[in-house]
Amino acid sequence: MKVPATLRWLLHFFRPPQPQRLDLGRRSLLLAGAAGVGSTLLVRTSAQGEGHTFNPELIRPPGSVAEDEFLGKCIRCGECMKVCPTNAIHPAVTEGGIAGLWTPVLKMKLGYCDYECNLCSQVCPTQAIQDTALEEKQRIRIGTAFFDRNRCLPWASARACIVCEEHCPTPKKAIWFQDVQVITPDGNNLSVKQPHVNPDLCIGCGICQNKCPITDERGVYVTSVGETRNPGNQALLDSGDG
Amino acid sequence: MTRRKASWLVWLRRFTQAAFVLLFIAVFLQAQYQPVNQTGRHVKLFFLLDPFVLISSWLASHTVASGLLFSLLPLGFTFIFGRWFCGWVCPFGSLHNLLSSWSGQTTKVKIATGGYSRWQKTKYYLLLVLLVSSLFGLNLAGWFDPFSVLYRSTATVLYPAVNDGLKSLFGWIYQADPGLGPLKVTSVSEPVYEFLRRTVLPAAQPYFYGTALVAVFFFAVILLNFYRARFWCRYICPLGALLGIAGKNPLIQIERSSELCNQCGLCVANCQGAADPHVPGSWKPAECFYCWNCHSECPKRAVSIGLHLTRGAK
Repeated sequence: MKVPATLRWLLHFFRPPQPQRLDLGRRSLLLAGAAGVGSTLLVRTSAQGEGHTFNPELIRPPGSVAEDEFLGKCIRCGECMKVCPTNAIHPAVTEGGIAGLWTPVLKMKLGYCDYECNLCSQVCPTQAIQDTALEEKQRIRIGTAFFDRNRCLPWASARACIVCEEHCPTPKKAIWFQDVQVITPDGNNLSVKQPHVNPDLCIGCGICQNKCPITDERGVYVTSVGETRNPGNQALLDSGDG
Repeated sequence: MTRRKASWLVWLRRFTQAAFVLLFIAVFLQAQYQPVNQTGRHVKLFFLLDPFVLISSWLASHTVASGLLFSLLPLGFTFIFGRWFCGWVCPFGSLHNLLSSWSGQTTKVKIATGGYSRWQKTKYYLLLVLLVSSLFGLNLAGWFDPFSVLYRSTATVLYPAVNDGLKSLFGWIYQADPGLGPLKVTSVSEPVYEFLRRTVLPAAQPYFYGTALVAVFFFAVILLNFYRARFWCRYICPLGALLGIAGKNPLIQIERSSELCNQCGLCVANCQGAADPHVPGSWKPAECFYCWNCHSECPKRAVSIGLHLTRGAK
């Protein structure tokens, strides 16, 4: 076949002047491929892989896709961790199993998901955190808050405290109170507001946990249940008021 | 044997590397609440140039974030011209380059250890392992993707550590307030610190869980440069492997003239990629970063780099 002179340089890629072979060896390549398959299967059969169990601490940034897909997309680059203005996003160690090492999880004790911010979804290079408009992000549930009645002050210690409710950012507060008469250590009657979470309104942002004055083990905490991205990880069969 | 002055091409390469490192730092610092809920999409720039991320995420999720298609540009460039990306653009590569040059190994040692090693095939196998697991839906690319390693380590380890260190340093100066009579150090240090805080330091000290593991991985990789120059790039980097495969038969080729060569070994001692420029006919383009060191160091001008088209192909 005669190749016109002007296109002859293209032949270079097919018939190199000196063959530069990259000889990787068939056996080694097969081994490497098998190692890839093997490691995948190994990781998948771990209890935390692929949503066999749901780790309460595996709270992903808002807009994150479902866990299977997330592990297919996230490249653990840390952009979301850098950009988060409240320092809420951290590299997972064990929260997501072996496969989840260094993927982003929210730690509400150090930060919380700011209601007016969706920067993590803006910077994610692979759309593991999908680019969502702020109004949309404000409706995404990343988890649900629960009160620890053994630690929450109005529940456990007959003290007045409404810090969590004051910080709750949803348009209609997801924390509501029940006025209850309790007895103080001195034997006096005291009216306190005992807080409850309305799981229909709570988006799991974690500001209640972050601001709770019980500094070590908080009186209110967020777990991943109810997260929008995982249809399997839901606690509620139906909303209370139908 | 006096060391030759680096050629202008080596200086051009160093300048380009420095520019990309600064660009990396600039886009890193831009990724913040500033002070509105909007960062430019450019903050993920380096990931958009990373074909390894493109391919692994496509294999694993069968979708592609559209921005990642930019990475086909460096991939195509590498296919035609060779693996320049690693030598000229990659900021992680430049960091390894810098540390390797501080390794203090003698030329004798570098000549003895600077040649191609079959262990350099490891990165291709690692690439295959990662791509096969991606194909099966598990994307572990981020453990070894160079930009992910660099960004993750910078964000969760280096940047917080630098901020903490500077805070302590300037705090100590402020407390001690050393000075000579009326001349106070704080009159200089405080404006400097104020300037840094306004420009490059975070609004609040960042803290991260589980950074020990990130740090150990990062510093292990960094310290391996003292064992072999650019250890990561030669033996581990899966992006380098991908670009090596793409650029295994590039238009730009290195040739060594047997007539001029006096077998001094300076080319192999200074070869960043252990691509064997010293052995006739066995220069390995898949390992070459086009750093031009062999060309620059050769006292006899025996190494030439240039377009190498097929002439008179049958």
